[in-house]
Amino acid sequence: MAELTGFHYRPGSSVLHRLDVRMKLALLAVFSAACLHASSAGLLLLGLPLLATALISRVAPSVPSRELRWLGLLLGLVFVARAVSTDGTAVLSMGTFVASREGVADGLKVCLRLILVFLMGSMFVASTRPGEVKAGVQWFLNPVPFVPAERTATMLGLIVRFIPLILEEVSRTTDAQRARAVENRRNPVYRMVTFGIPLLRRIFETSDRLVLAMEARGYAESRTGPEIKAGRRDWAALAAGGGWLALILVV
Amino acid sequence: MPAIIQIENLVHRFADGTVGLGGVSLEVAEGAFVIIAGANGSGKTTLLRHLNGLLRPTSGTVRVGGVSVTDNVLRARTLVGMMFQDADSQIVGETVYADVAFGPENLKLGRAEIDRRVQEALAATGLVHLAEKRPHLLSGGEKRRLAIAGVLAMQPRVLVFDEPFSNLDYPGVRQVLEQILKLHRSGQTILLTTHDLEKVLAHADRLVFMRGGRIEGDGPPHVLVAGAEAYGVKRPRVLGCGVKALSWLN
Repeated sequence: MAELTGFHYRPGSSVLHRLDVRMKLALLAVFSAACLHASSAGLLLLGLPLLATALISRVAPSVPSRELRWLGLLLGLVFVARAVSTDGTAVLSMGTFVASREGVADGLKVCLRLILVFLMGSMFVASTRPGEVKAGVQWFLNPVPFVPAERTATMLGLIVRFIPLILEEVSRTTDAQRARAVENRRNPVYRMVTFGIPLLRRIFETSDRLVLAMEARGYAESRTGPEIKAGRRDWAALAAGGGWLALILVV
Repeated sequence: MPAIIQIENLVHRFADGTVGLGGVSLEVAEGAFVIIAGANGSGKTTLLRHLNGLLRPTSGTVRVGGVSVTDNVLRARTLVGMMFQDADSQIVGETVYADVAFGPENLKLGRAEIDRRVQEALAATGLVHLAEKRPHLLSGGEKRRLAIAGVLAMQPRVLVFDEPFSNLDYPGVRQVLEQILKLHRSGQTILLTTHDLEKVLAHADRLVFMRGGRIEGDGPPHVLVAGAEAYGVKRPRVLGCGVKALSWLN
């Protein structure tokens, strides 16, 4: 069984892999927020170095084109919605729907924002062990009153651990149904029901087996976590990220 | 040798009322190699899952190392290392190293001790060179060895294998069988369930047959194996040459 999905941790020794998880979480949060406010030039200034970093660190999403089509579908819907709902100079008319030049530009910008957020999320997951995700989240939540930091961090760590399993089951269920010519059925409701119910059942069964395996090895919320220690390189990366962020917002 | 596993009148009833185990009593001496055989649904897996507290008895007792499993489940899970039938479902780490470290991390050991145990377990199972590899990319035999390494790192005294040879090709079967025998020679107690006796019978010193949630046969393999098919288990066809001749490692 070879690589099944692209959304998973990939072992490596790149700068991103070695960066302290707390710095990565902080940079992920601020850059994602920056995406919402940056101008078009700012988005390009963010996106091009980000893509270069992903390629050099070998953490660029290696998601099969079959899975990317769902992201493409979402982006397409967002683009069309923006294009036809924004007032401006008409460039394309389809019945009652009129796409404006301003809407097209706005739609492209929103899609670029979503792509960048997806890229940053993928880079983070690919370069960070789930155990480190838990340790980092717990570190940030510890000073927050009334929030069960360890339990919250454990839940987030488990989500990261379970996402690849869910995507694997989606892939298997899809293949099994396509092998039995489900594509000949055009009714979307039928296809959704016949896909969704067995998928949910398989996900719960797989999760049950994984939980059993974890319990058999004494899994507990409170366990030895990874050592997280920020060095000079990590602080330098945070400072560089801050400077880059300022530039993005100013441009 | 003293008994490391003591099961007395174990009954397990599932939530829907089905009786999974109908009063099982079994003692296993430390260092033994026991095969538990039976058809699907005979209760083998249900029995095994009581040894580390994954299932709780409806009535009866299960003791490992002299202590009731229900009184100290964590201790039972440290003493009893369990390998499930589906190796993929046991993989919890993102790398081979991380998967093996998972168990010791749950025991809240220090990082240096965890690293030492992981290195030992990887060396014992011949996986040191695969430490940074993603577990899902391993072969079937390597995944089974990874599962073994994962429980070895917790330093158990009993190793339980649930259908360890299922879905394995011939090289994979040999890999896993050699690993099991190596562990037995080093003093581990081995409990193994299978409905394919031929692969492992030559190496066991005790054979137990289960049917309908009960033990119906218990004794030396060369004595009991002749009646295997009465329990829904395929009788090895080359028995005329003796049980020892069956070894897949010959």
